[in-house]
Amino acid sequence: MDIIVENLVQVWDDGGAGVRALDGITHHFRSGTLTCLLGPSGCGKSTLAQIVGGIETATSGTIRIVDPKNPSAPPARPGQCSVMMWQSLNLFPWRNVIDNVTFGLEMAGVPKPERYARARELLASVGLRNFEEKACSQLSGGMRQRVALARALIMDRPILLMDEPFAALDAQTKIVMQEELTRIFERMRKTILFVTHAIDEAILLGDEVVVMTARPGRIKEVIRIDLPRPRTQEMVGTHEFGELYDRILHLIREEVLNAMRQQDEALA
Amino acid sequence: MTASGKARSGRPARKRRDPLWLRVLPSLSVVLFIALWELAVKAGDVAPIILPAPSSIARYLVAMILDGSLPYNLAVTFVRIMAGFLVAGVLGVLVGVLMGMSKVLARVIDPWIAALYPLPKISLIPLLIIWLGTGEAYILTISAITAFFPVVISTYAGIRQTSQELVKAARDLGASTRQIQTNVVIPAAIPSIFAGLHLGMGVTIILVVAAEMIGGSNQSGMGYLLIRFGQVMETEKVFASLVALAVFGGVIMKGQQAIDRWVAPWAVGKS
Ligand SMILES: Nc1ncnc2c1ncn2[C@@H]1O[C@H](COP(=O)(O)OP(=O)(O)OP(=O)(O)O)[C@@H](O)[C@H]1O
Ligand SMILES: [Mg+2]
Repeated sequence: MDIIVENLVQVWDDGGAGVRALDGITHHFRSGTLTCLLGPSGCGKSTLAQIVGGIETATSGTIRIVDPKNPSAPPARPGQCSVMMWQSLNLFPWRNVIDNVTFGLEMAGVPKPERYARARELLASVGLRNFEEKACSQLSGGMRQRVALARALIMDRPILLMDEPFAALDAQTKIVMQEELTRIFERMRKTILFVTHAIDEAILLGDEVVVMTARPGRIKEVIRIDLPRPRTQEMVGTHEFGELYDRILHLIREEVLNAMRQQDEALA
Repeated sequence: MTASGKARSGRPARKRRDPLWLRVLPSLSVVLFIALWELAVKAGDVAPIILPAPSSIARYLVAMILDGSLPYNLAVTFVRIMAGFLVAGVLGVLVGVLMGMSKVLARVIDPWIAALYPLPKISLIPLLIIWLGTGEAYILTISAITAFFPVVISTYAGIRQTSQELVKAARDLGASTRQIQTNVVIPAAIPSIFAGLHLGMGVTIILVVAAEMIGGSNQSGMGYLLIRFGQVMETEKVFASLVALAVFGGVIMKGQQAIDRWVAPWAVGKS
């Protein structure tokens, strides 16, 4: 699914003049590509993901979601063919692991044996075999993140919106999960919007890295990542990787400094 | 795969046990208090009609258990409490949920609750006796009316405080508005509903015993026992009844907590 975003503006109501979170975002997220969104904290990454996912409605601007194989079909409604993995996870505390994962299928009326079978398979692939009956409160932060990932993946929607999905993982689990995501992506060719603040993760996973400015969020630069697929962890050491890293680090540093200056001014 | 371990109960394991003296301190203080009471009564030669000694209260307590008067009246009071609580709990949760689901209903009911909640329900006793007489209907009505308010208010508050993030997440996973109400909003309100039911139980106990004291014509129940023994100055029996009532109240509260933990372990200790 192609996601064509034009001139997106989002002003959050804060009881006063409003917070301008996004200020004219225009971008074409291509079908079957994994786009990483990078930017300083508070620049509107989550906001953008939520608008693309139809969870929030933008103040102005348009989103069109079209199937490139069938361009004459009417565009899909945002949210219809996407699913979000939330930065705050939003697991349902009253449901155990497997009932969180199967929530969407249950709502869709999929019979229990079928949805449980699919959930078991997915949970095993994210390293949570035998945790099906646990309460979510009994899991570590990283395990909860994997439950949230499985809950999104089980929906099998063409667009996957992932808001800092691996932020709470330890370094080792993170590598495993990145490999798992790469594998899923290279096999299923979903359209993925992946929010992160880790530059190496963005390069390792993405076909494209969109660097955003400090608030109000605009697109500062779009960097194509032409590293061959399948991607492996070993690529991190290559010269090409290092060059991309330096380039993005430079862009990000400018914006983080901008964001800090803004905060200082706001406090003064 | 580190977090499986032994923490099976869902509650945080106690980090380190308190030292022995700290653990026995509560019971020790009770024993000490009773011993001092006994000594003071004996030494001061206080008339048992004013303050009986704990030892004679205990004797009366045993006698009243054996002659069946205490078990019978406790049982009667218990049934009345359960009846009032059940009516108030079912109606309170139902109305609270409906208010949370329908703006129109909330608008209509809200001013009534705001007006009636602060009214001390005991002040309705004269009216209720005029309308219902002094039988079971009166006891049931006064206790149910009183317990209804905390239940309905907590339920409605719980429903309104549902995390909007969870609602959005459910909608994103394809849940309809109806499905969100039954699968997200109501479970999310359960900690508040439990809190309301605890408050409701507390006032039901108070109101049933009070109604048995004032005007109850059935001549049964712990309230009736207390009043009758008081009037004939059988102070030992008054104390014995009080002890029984206190233990009974504690057991009911603990039982309710156990039911909470059994029904919704994740909700315990949330509100
Ligand atoms: N629902 C909301 N209501 C009001 N303001 C909001 C809302 N969501 C976000 N904001 C504001 O919009 C701005 C952008 O927030 P957003 O969460 O999109 O940033 P982010 O780039 O995801 O940050 P982070 O990296 O810290 O997650 C912030 O100033 C935030 O306070
Ligand atoms: Mg965010």
